[in-house]
Amino acid sequence: MSSPHKPRRKPKKQLGAEGAASSATPNFPLEAFLWPARGFVSQWEILPLILMAVGLFRWAAGLWGYSGFQNPPMHGDYEAQRHWMEITIGLPISQWYFHDLEWWGLDYPPLTAYHSWLLGKIGSLIDPAWFALRSSRGIEDPALKVFMRATVIVSEYFIYIPAAVIFVRRFTRLQGINHWHAWIALTAILMQPGTILIDHVHFQYNTVMLGFVLACMSSIQAGRYMWCSVFFVMALGFKQMALYYAPAIFAFLLGVCIFPRINLARFLGIATVTAVSFAVLILPLYLGALYDSYRGIDARPELFGHKAPLPLFTEHSFRLDHNAWYYPILQQTAQLIHRVFPFARGLFEDKVANFWCTLNILIKLRKYPSELLQRASLLLTLTAITPPCFVIFVKPKKELLPLALATTAWAFFLFSFQVHEKSVLLPLMPMTMLLTGKNGLSDNIRSWVGFANLLGVWTMFPLLQRVDLRIPYYVLSLLWAYLLGLPPTSFAAYKTGWSTWTGCAMSTMHLLFYAFMAVWHVVEATLSPPATKPDLWVVANVGVGSIGFGICYLWCLWTLVAESKLLSFLGTQPKKAKSL
Amino acid sequence: MAELSPSIAQCAVVATAFKVLLFPAYKSTDFEVHRNWLALTNSLPTKEWYYEKTSEWTLDYPPFFAYFEWTMSQFARLADPEMLKVYNLEYDSWQTVYFQRATVILTELVLVYALHLFVQSAPPSLRRPSHAAALSILLSPGLLIIDHIHFQYNGFLYGLLILSLVLARKKSTTLVSGLLFAALLCLKHIYLYLAPAYFVFLLRAYCLGPKSIFHIQFLNAIKLGTGIIVVFGAAFGPFAYWQQIPQLLSRLFPFSRGLCHAYWAPNVWAMYSFTDRVLIYLAPRLGLPVNQEAINSVTRGLVGDTSFAVLPEITARMTFISTLFFQIIPLIKLFFDPSWETFIGAVTLCGYASFLFGWHVHEKAILLVIIPFSLIALRDRRYLGAFRPLAVAGHVSLFPLLFTAAEFPIKTVYTIFWLVMFLLAFDRLAPASTRSRIFLLDRFSFLYIAVSIPLIVYCSLLHQVIFGKSMEFLPLMFMSSYAAVGVVGSWVGFLVVYFTS
Repeated sequence: MSSPHKPRRKPKKQLGAEGAASSATPNFPLEAFLWPARGFVSQWEILPLILMAVGLFRWAAGLWGYSGFQNPPMHGDYEAQRHWMEITIGLPISQWYFHDLEWWGLDYPPLTAYHSWLLGKIGSLIDPAWFALRSSRGIEDPALKVFMRATVIVSEYFIYIPAAVIFVRRFTRLQGINHWHAWIALTAILMQPGTILIDHVHFQYNTVMLGFVLACMSSIQAGRYMWCSVFFVMALGFKQMALYYAPAIFAFLLGVCIFPRINLARFLGIATVTAVSFAVLILPLYLGALYDSYRGIDARPELFGHKAPLPLFTEHSFRLDHNAWYYPILQQTAQLIHRVFPFARGLFEDKVANFWCTLNILIKLRKYPSELLQRASLLLTLTAITPPCFVIFVKPKKELLPLALATTAWAFFLFSFQVHEKSVLLPLMPMTMLLTGKNGLSDNIRSWVGFANLLGVWTMFPLLQRVDLRIPYYVLSLLWAYLLGLPPTSFAAYKTGWSTWTGCAMSTMHLLFYAFMAVWHVVEATLSPPATKPDLWVVANVGVGSIGFGICYLWCLWTLVAESKLLSFLGTQPKKAKSL
Repeated sequence: MAELSPSIAQCAVVATAFKVLLFPAYKSTDFEVHRNWLALTNSLPTKEWYYEKTSEWTLDYPPFFAYFEWTMSQFARLADPEMLKVYNLEYDSWQTVYFQRATVILTELVLVYALHLFVQSAPPSLRRPSHAAALSILLSPGLLIIDHIHFQYNGFLYGLLILSLVLARKKSTTLVSGLLFAALLCLKHIYLYLAPAYFVFLLRAYCLGPKSIFHIQFLNAIKLGTGIIVVFGAAFGPFAYWQQIPQLLSRLFPFSRGLCHAYWAPNVWAMYSFTDRVLIYLAPRLGLPVNQEAINSVTRGLVGDTSFAVLPEITARMTFISTLFFQIIPLIKLFFDPSWETFIGAVTLCGYASFLFGWHVHEKAILLVIIPFSLIALRDRRYLGAFRPLAVAGHVSLFPLLFTAAEFPIKTVYTIFWLVMFLLAFDRLAPASTRSRIFLLDRFSFLYIAVSIPLIVYCSLLHQVIFGKSMEFLPLMFMSSYAAVGVVGSWVGFLVVYFTS
């Protein structure tokens, strides 16, 4: 070789390094795609490629229609989010939570409002017509669609994706799992069909909230409990739905303050940081309200100076002095709570695959007083969240966190009231994180995570097909199933595990569900439901979905208990759940 | 076959998912062109195909493509019969979009099969690099932008080209290769640009003896000749019988178009036009005469009739002669060394010559260079050195095809994704050359790739911020001049590699 330059890498050495790391052959397509990256590829090469690939799928999916597209008079979630940008940049802060509640009134916590304000300001620089007060309602400018899609992606790349990358790295390092597996798990997590379909196609900013929760989870992995509370407060402040995780996070944080020995300083630190974060979060709203009242701007100009009773403790609100300096704060607080937690609404809104909606198929719940139902719902939710919270409280181990979060979120999804189809993203997020854990890519865990995710998107199908999103639904969910080697594209994950009774039962049950979903899709596409029961297909979807989610809850709980080894000191060593 | 992971089929599945998601993306007038062809082949007797002119997008592909459209139109009826009406101009119902986009994806299976065959036919030591090259073609941003967004059937056509090139690898299938290429010519006549290489290769490797050129293999020559006559007869026969050949040719070769295409394909003439523009400002100082008429021409550079202010006019004959000249040079080597690698090199160089010197070249034609080159780009690092600027320039030059905001992230991120992934992979897979490499060329290609980043940023973002809607030609001109430098540079580099290996 006369050349003064040598090739940067010798191919032979490569093969050697690869041979050492190789298990044999890829087990499922996603492994095959990352196969060339084993061993010697730097993260600076592989991470940008993964992030570009998942970004491309997000953007391409966003070319499809959004919820409420060309669907007057109310449009949908897209209009809600756009409208919030319009009111936050167009109105004084004290009016945000009061303005024309009939047209997508703001009903998310303040961080969403601030986020909308920021996006609205940026958007107005490009085209002020997009967010012009009142005149922009229901606007359908294609350029605005591009802007809105971009805001979802940018928000996700600022919050959810860094949080996911950091979480995956910390969690895998903690458990001694090699990088290559971490990349596979990360790609699988970022290609989750549910989040792409809901955020980037149907339109919402769930990943911002989920990203804060992930940041909170990865702070726990790093042992930074105060940061964990800051992030969790931000998640709550962005979307109240993060409350699904609150009991488990609370139990865990309490646990680390008590076990193995009581650590009061840590407890006080966490408590203070949480309180301060809440205060900082709400402060702009309060200060703005005070400043507005000082300037003589009324929160409810439509009343022409008359004061309406507050929405909370209405019967006592006449005792308040409307001219007191603190009145605007009380008014904002009451309105915020009233808007964010709509207790007044029913047990469930639309058809959603949870316990109540399924029960409603069997017995009409409408004949019972709503207070009774609310209590029953509270009681059942508490019962269902107690075991996982107890386990994570007594055994506050970092590696148990995703399971505990998934179990409590499933409990909330199944039993609490006012649940929306989209809320299934909450239990799915921590459950999907199990892919990063020990044996996360094994047939068993992969099949459970896949089962939950595919069932989850399936229950969202009625929501998506209402806005003609069948094709992105089929493409993204089948693609994910394909990448992870799951039914209906491959049954490889179910080849093993038939040797034990639990394995048999689990595989049979999963396959029955998959078969039902497939048949359901064929029926739904070809036959119209009987005239007397126009909702029959949706009801079947909801019923089967809720049973499947119930099974996911039980599996998460069982795995949590088994992994925590809580029962081992009782002498009843669980049979290590052969399926584990 | 763990070493060949991910497999071609796996990549095809994921790429298909992405392409289906792109169904609602921007589509150019080519979509309407092909819809119109579906309609006219379906509803009119064959006699009238080349006379029909209800739509401005008349049939201007050779007969096999018309038959191809006719075949698809039989299925189109099931999707939406409305799209098959000739007067239904600009018709694009959802069913029509789904159907036409789906035909692009399905016919691309020919490419998948051809690439599979390419990897299978490679000697075991070259299987890994060949596999990487095959994936790079399958996932090519060029095909994604042109076929799946802009809309055309290049995946299918280049699939046939690769199939034919792969079949040329073995003595036993050389005849099939030649006939397949003849059929390809009857599908799309742009491949005529590659025909000289085929002619020389088939002549030397198939019709003349391996030892001596005077040892003519008559049987082979007769087989090939008859075969080609049959293929062309099947395509043009009916039209010859109806005496429509002059009309057909006038549709296929519309010489009335200008030297440069609307967006300035990055070739020698783009550099020539750029120089002319610069000279407008310099000419008074240098004392050169300036053609005032050309300066004031509103359309200059943008639409067909390019006219030059300072430099001499370029005629079609000049472009034709220079193209042929630069095609013949590599063919001399091919004639004396008719190996498969040289043949692919010669095909590539024929593509280069036609792209760089041709008349009214469209930037899409860069695939004529990139795709055959990809097949041999991994032979060693010197080939790769010439391929790299081409990969950057060729794909960046396609960006102006898509100008809508929604497709901007797709074209840029996908191209960057592809470049990062495959240039890194190729870098690892290409073996060191046995010959010393050319210092300057290497540095040139690195510098060149680095310049692309600020340039793309300027053209896609900064220009709008600074100038708004005015001076729209500026980014186009920068891009095409930049790309032209890359294509010319890689051409020169490859010529050196071709003649020294």
